[in-house]
Amino acid sequence: MADILLDIQGLSLRYATANGPVTALDAVSLAIPRGGAMGLVGESGSGKSSMLLAMLGLLGKGAAVTADAARFDGQDLLKVAASLRGRRIGTVFQDPSAALNPALTIGMQVAEPLTLHRGMNWREAMERAEGLLAETGIHDPAAVLKAYPHQLSGGMKQRAVIAQALGCEPDLLLLDEPTTALDVTVEAQILDLLDALRARRGISLLLVSHNLGIVDRICDDLTVLYAGRVVEQGPCARVLAGPRHPYARGLMAAMPVISHAKQRLTSIEGNLPDLTLVDPGCNFAPRCPFAVPSCAEPQALAGEGDHRARCHRATETAALPWPEQDQARVSMEAAPERRPLLEARGMSRRFAGHGGLWRSLDWRGGWPKLAPRKSVVAVDDVTIEVRSGEVLGLVGESGSGKSTLGRLLLRLVPADAGQLEFGGTEVPLRPSSDFCQQAQIIFQNPDSALNPHHTVQEILKRPLELFGIAKGAAAGAEIDRLLDLVRLPRSYRTRYPHQMSGGEKQRIGIARALAGRPRFIVCDEAVSALDVSVQAAVLNLLSDLRAQFGLSYLFISHDIGVIAHISDRIAVMYRGAIVQQGEAAELLRGPHHPYTASLLSAVPVVGSARSQAGNRIRLAENAMAAPGEKGCSFASRCPQQLGSLCRTQVPAQRRLSNGVMMACHLPDAQLETVSLGLS
Amino acid sequence: MLVYAARRILGMVVVLFAMSAVVFAAIHLLPGSVAHMVLGEYATADAVAALELKLGLRDPILVQYWRWLSGVLHGEFGQALSIDQPVARLIGGALERSAVLGGMSLLLVALMGIALGIHSAVHRGSLSDRVLTMMQYTLIAIPEFFWCTVAIIVFAVWLGWLPATGYTPLADAGLLQWLRHLILPVICLSLGLTAHVSRMVRSSMLEAIESRYVLAARAKGVPERLVLLRHALPNAMLPAITVLAIDAGILIGGIVVAETVFSFPGLGSLLMYAIQNHDIPLLQAGMLVVTAVYSLATLVADLASAMLNPRIRLGGAH
Repeated sequence: MADILLDIQGLSLRYATANGPVTALDAVSLAIPRGGAMGLVGESGSGKSSMLLAMLGLLGKGAAVTADAARFDGQDLLKVAASLRGRRIGTVFQDPSAALNPALTIGMQVAEPLTLHRGMNWREAMERAEGLLAETGIHDPAAVLKAYPHQLSGGMKQRAVIAQALGCEPDLLLLDEPTTALDVTVEAQILDLLDALRARRGISLLLVSHNLGIVDRICDDLTVLYAGRVVEQGPCARVLAGPRHPYARGLMAAMPVISHAKQRLTSIEGNLPDLTLVDPGCNFAPRCPFAVPSCAEPQALAGEGDHRARCHRATETAALPWPEQDQARVSMEAAPERRPLLEARGMSRRFAGHGGLWRSLDWRGGWPKLAPRKSVVAVDDVTIEVRSGEVLGLVGESGSGKSTLGRLLLRLVPADAGQLEFGGTEVPLRPSSDFCQQAQIIFQNPDSALNPHHTVQEILKRPLELFGIAKGAAAGAEIDRLLDLVRLPRSYRTRYPHQMSGGEKQRIGIARALAGRPRFIVCDEAVSALDVSVQAAVLNLLSDLRAQFGLSYLFISHDIGVIAHISDRIAVMYRGAIVQQGEAAELLRGPHHPYTASLLSAVPVVGSARSQAGNRIRLAENAMAAPGEKGCSFASRCPQQLGSLCRTQVPAQRRLSNGVMMACHLPDAQLETVSLGLS
Repeated sequence: MLVYAARRILGMVVVLFAMSAVVFAAIHLLPGSVAHMVLGEYATADAVAALELKLGLRDPILVQYWRWLSGVLHGEFGQALSIDQPVARLIGGALERSAVLGGMSLLLVALMGIALGIHSAVHRGSLSDRVLTMMQYTLIAIPEFFWCTVAIIVFAVWLGWLPATGYTPLADAGLLQWLRHLILPVICLSLGLTAHVSRMVRSSMLEAIESRYVLAARAKGVPERLVLLRHALPNAMLPAITVLAIDAGILIGGIVVAETVFSFPGLGSLLMYAIQNHDIPLLQAGMLVVTAVYSLATLVADLASAMLNPRIRLGGAH
């Protein structure tokens, strides 16, 4: 092979815990050539992040790292890791808001490694830091140098983190989920930056991610980890085009893809194995639909050439289709009725700026003046309807007001303006218990949405009693019915939330929403905290329940892939306003609102991530509109902006020829060109 | 930041006015006449009437309050009833001695508390951390008057190293003698609070050490000493400062006890004296001063933590 920069053979990681030793990594091998890029993928608990920390020598005292060989540029990595950190190995951690020190300026944090490793004084280091910030695409590096992390947007923060990792010109950059905390359009910008850095500096990358699209976009090679073991390894393109290990196949098939929107997702049943018990055979066998008794034998990483899988049946099973485990009870294509169930007109909600009277005093000029209270528009004059039995997908970036709109529709947050009708009757600001029963919500994070002190039984009994559905023995039977509906064993009724996995907890969240026998459920990022395979199972469950009971969902997500998969109609939200809404298939086909187009083009799609990156629609940094101008909220970032018309006039909603509603000044002919980059 | 400081200072003025009303009301609106309180149960009607006239107690309550308040605003606290001295002079001298006692205690609490807290956090789970933890809980649980008594018995009575009670001014007796009188009260006052502060610093320091930004600093190759001092400590100090301000309030209560036990002529002793001798003007002024000192401590702490916290200092865009 060519010049190998990093060569790790048989790296293992063990922790001593109260329940005995845990094998977090089991003989992991990977090699990265100089200038190469390796992707390390797997679901949570697979050991990907531990791998990075083990390489850096930053695991705590309880961790024992061993390896047959661990060479970095000829040196023994495990021995000299401390001297390489920050000098020759740069690291970018997941969430830039957590990875930057809130008490230090960006300049200090970027310049610090230079003062430590390059012997520069602070002045020289600051000058260099300014150059680094400029190189990572920050427009006003001199100002950012003096800024504190809380003053920057997420994308800017991640650029600063990358700048601080690059300072000492490392040979290898370790990236731990570098874009997971960012919006999809920002994510695309960071991926562009990483690509450019690689080309310009010849730097090697080790990219840890759960997102196969991102890995495909950036990396040459791919390693798939499952429960601490490498199950598949090879060139990115070949692994993704034809995954051989059943786990890798399942992972690929579980991803919702925009182009195959209505296909049922495959999910991988079961949970990660108990890492305290080392399984000498295949540790995926208990979840594998192709498992046979001989899978209990030790498995070797084998295959043709450099594409290898740890499965002795890889060749046999390649031709077999993935078996359908949970039969869809009713077909996905239950045609929704046309009757509107919930109608909201002119919904608005502002949130006051921080503080009360004191904050609103303007102290400039010595004496206090009463300044107009600053407020943030979360939802701005939104008119929307959810029809009976339909899924309305609501997509947009963080801060676009999606969750607030969801809560407004449930009257959980009082609206400043607008009317709400449910089933043909007006819903007052303080809704009746009847409305509360029929309109329910499923939250994003099941950890914080379930009371940790209550058992499943108590969690589910409360709405039953509250809405007078069942009491006593009848409630017990009803709880069993709910657990059956969400496909959990009835024995779970005595469990506490911490005794369940993330997917199981979210099923309880769904069961709780179903307890009142609702007609309408707001799913607020209901699958965003889940791993891909679990997400697939929960999405399938939601589809089945909807078909079974004729439920309507408002499905809120930042992931347009998930939205495309589950929705009948889609609404796209930007800064509090709906910019486009219509039938899912028509809306996705185009023409697109410029914002919708940028969202769609930013998602890295496995198989075409690289070619697509070239055509991506690039947005300006998230700038605020000039004060006093009240035009289209997207105008300041819109690549198609028409000038003063867009900046000064709010575009009206109009119906396109395919029935999709859109709020944009662009004439139809020009809208067609917006979408060209996507086909 | 300036806006923030101005708001906080204005807020403090409001609190002081409110407190002056509460202090005044607590004494004047309680059942029983003030004159009876001063003169005792068996005072003659004439004596009571004379005193009421002298103190203006027959005026409407708001007039009395205004008279007292405008005096206070002019620095006029009036004349003490039980000693023939102006209240202002009595309080001024006592306040100075108590400030020395309290200031030294608070300094010791801050230095020791922060140092021990950092030590425990860095060496978490070690023998020294476990021993410290046990000692801290013991010290927090046992009130200071116990330590005062123990200290007097051990260091003054048995060993005879230090004086049990009293005070000598710095100017008269020299530095050594002055210090010898301060050592025992300062240490007794500091024990419990040091334990409290070090517990808080330990937990906020642990939180900082386990944070992502500290991990990121280590990944940048920052040496461990700098990781702790530059990256973890500034973030861990914010809660520590708030705790110190709360402890300053507790310290004021402790000073009253310690001064009584050690016969230390400070504000605490003076307040006790005023209560025992029904010296209303002295009591009112003393309580107001205590309130003011506590408000000031809170204000200083808030401003200090705002200075350390860029989110407050600069305001936030996000």
